[in-house]
Amino acid sequence: MTPNPLSECATHRMTRMTPDLSLPAPSLHAAPTPASRRGFMGLALAGATAPLWPDLAQADAMNPLAIIMNSGEASVSVIDMTTRKVVRTVPTLREPSHWALSPDRSKLYIADASGNALFVMDPVTGTGLGHMVMADPYQIGYTPDKRYFVVNALRLDFVDVYDGATLKLVKRFKVGGMPSHLDFSPDSRWSFNSMQEPGTLVSLDLTTMTVRWKSHVGSTPAGVMWYKDHVYCCVMGENYVAEVDPVSGKVLRKIPTGGIGPHNIFLTPDRQTIYVSNRVGGSLTALDPATMAIRRVYPFHAAGPDDIAVDPQGKLWVALRFHEKVAVLEPVSGDYETIDVGRSPHGIFLNTMMSRPGIVTAEKL
Amino acid sequence: MFSPLDRFFSTIAGWIDQTVLLPILYHFGWMQWEELSFDWMLVCVYGFFAVIITYAICWPLEALFPIEKWPSQKAVVTDVMYTLVSRVGVLPIFSFLVFYQIQVTVNGFVVDHGYIPPMLETVIPSLLGHPILTFILYALILDCAEYWRHRLSHTFRGWYALHALHHAQRQMSFWSDDRNHMLDDLISGVWFAVIGLAIGIPPLQFPLLVMFMRIVESLSHANARISFGWLGDRLLISPRFHRIHHGLHAAGRVSCNYGAVFPFWDMIFRTADFSDHFPATGDRNAPEAMATGGYVAQQVSGLLYFGQMMKKGRASKARAKAKIKAGVS
Repeated sequence: MTPNPLSECATHRMTRMTPDLSLPAPSLHAAPTPASRRGFMGLALAGATAPLWPDLAQADAMNPLAIIMNSGEASVSVIDMTTRKVVRTVPTLREPSHWALSPDRSKLYIADASGNALFVMDPVTGTGLGHMVMADPYQIGYTPDKRYFVVNALRLDFVDVYDGATLKLVKRFKVGGMPSHLDFSPDSRWSFNSMQEPGTLVSLDLTTMTVRWKSHVGSTPAGVMWYKDHVYCCVMGENYVAEVDPVSGKVLRKIPTGGIGPHNIFLTPDRQTIYVSNRVGGSLTALDPATMAIRRVYPFHAAGPDDIAVDPQGKLWVALRFHEKVAVLEPVSGDYETIDVGRSPHGIFLNTMMSRPGIVTAEKL
Repeated sequence: MFSPLDRFFSTIAGWIDQTVLLPILYHFGWMQWEELSFDWMLVCVYGFFAVIITYAICWPLEALFPIEKWPSQKAVVTDVMYTLVSRVGVLPIFSFLVFYQIQVTVNGFVVDHGYIPPMLETVIPSLLGHPILTFILYALILDCAEYWRHRLSHTFRGWYALHALHHAQRQMSFWSDDRNHMLDDLISGVWFAVIGLAIGIPPLQFPLLVMFMRIVESLSHANARISFGWLGDRLLISPRFHRIHHGLHAAGRVSCNYGAVFPFWDMIFRTADFSDHFPATGDRNAPEAMATGGYVAQQVSGLLYFGQMMKKGRASKARAKAKIKAGVS
């Protein structure tokens, strides 16, 4: 398989990438939105005249915002990244968890799992735009070619594949209990979905809409990441990240993280470090991407670290689920400051990630 | 105003979750519950503080304005146990394990068949952005549902036999609120699970407000000569209003003042009694073990009483049928 740098950013990723020339060249404006694609609360699913992405001048001028999904209190905290202050708290329906940017980058889709909805925000201004009905979206992501929008419905045990353009359901898979995290192969053919209850990683063939394989990776798998022709899956009920052959599904090795309960996995934009958040151990592990050896373990005592995002200064923004805080960590010194947010902060989106398309990106960009 | 308090409770719950619960789940291979374990802890921590706050408020009131003085408080001790089990320990976790699973199964079934259950905020989109107003609406709906659940529990013979455990207490105090038969609690759980499915109850969005409502419910059982005045009694259920419901004359299948937090439903459905008296409480027909037995004795006695009442109900129906038949012939 030929690695495609573009799609290595598919899920929970922050990677430097080059534009995918196989994609159609973006036009300046999206097509007008037909009425049939409007959400039930009057939301236009694609902005009528929204630019495909903010031009660079606008992006440079825009206010850098961090958008934090507070799963435990049905809200989103919008933080001014410069002052480190929460500038507003936007209510959602029930349980905002993870996020994806719309293909034209004009909308931030926030999965509102038990709200059975996608909450839509303007990623530039951090204002709420409305909701769209969707069955239990927990972890969400566009395939690298944007053809499909894949949803892990953790509560209801579905993996739903939607058409990327219309967000109409194409296929529902019932391939295990508690579908957790997901990622894709760079060519968009395969998805990899972790199933917490049977402890498996499942691969779907999105060209034939069939199940390719199910592989037992260990107790309660969670975060998934494609990196250099392999799939890495955090095994939360153990103390390792499983390295899996994407073709056969075979577990090639178990990479210890130095912390208990690895939950989520991220690659930095400069591709120099892989970070793993350890849920039970309450720590963050830095791995060397070349060897997967542990470089350093950052403790966040009794805080439940979860999602991570990297800001333009290279600082890590870490959601601390059990402290109602987001930590901003300087990775060299290991020092961090915290910002109070809502209960159970989960997903993190920094709009600085989208300001320069083709240079810096993040999960599902 | 309450945000620091909320944060304080959540931080305690998070600390217990990370340092105690997660290692246990990890050790036993139950990490699939880790997302919910924080919620369990929140319920237990809020429940624990609710008990402490309730005690801090009600104990002085009962000491200063007692309606009755009892030589022995043995019967009250059992009620303390009910409260602790119900609010802090076993029941919240049991509810999570059982009702969460049932709700998920039913939800999954209906969603898979193309129906996504609505929520108040999706039906009335303008509620979004007004969390307190949203909560008040949810609270009113749930309180109305509780009124009808309670009223029906007095209507059906078998159901009342279970509910009689709650009424059997002759030494009613603020600890008596959670004194219920397990089967009665189970019916209540199913009742609210169905309502939750219909209107999408936000589980832990407003824990402080839920805590406030629980404190009002406990206070309404207090052994304290307290009313909130003419207007206050019509806005929030007072100890006087609820004591009339627990009065000897109101025990059984015809009663009054069924409301839990707000008296509006009793006023609307014409079951309110705002009389100015504090009657003796209890149920003369209930087995003595339901009043003065220990926890297990009360539960067993409740089950036996339920069996007796069901049998009596069947016999009564048979007699009525025979009467009709005789009349026809």
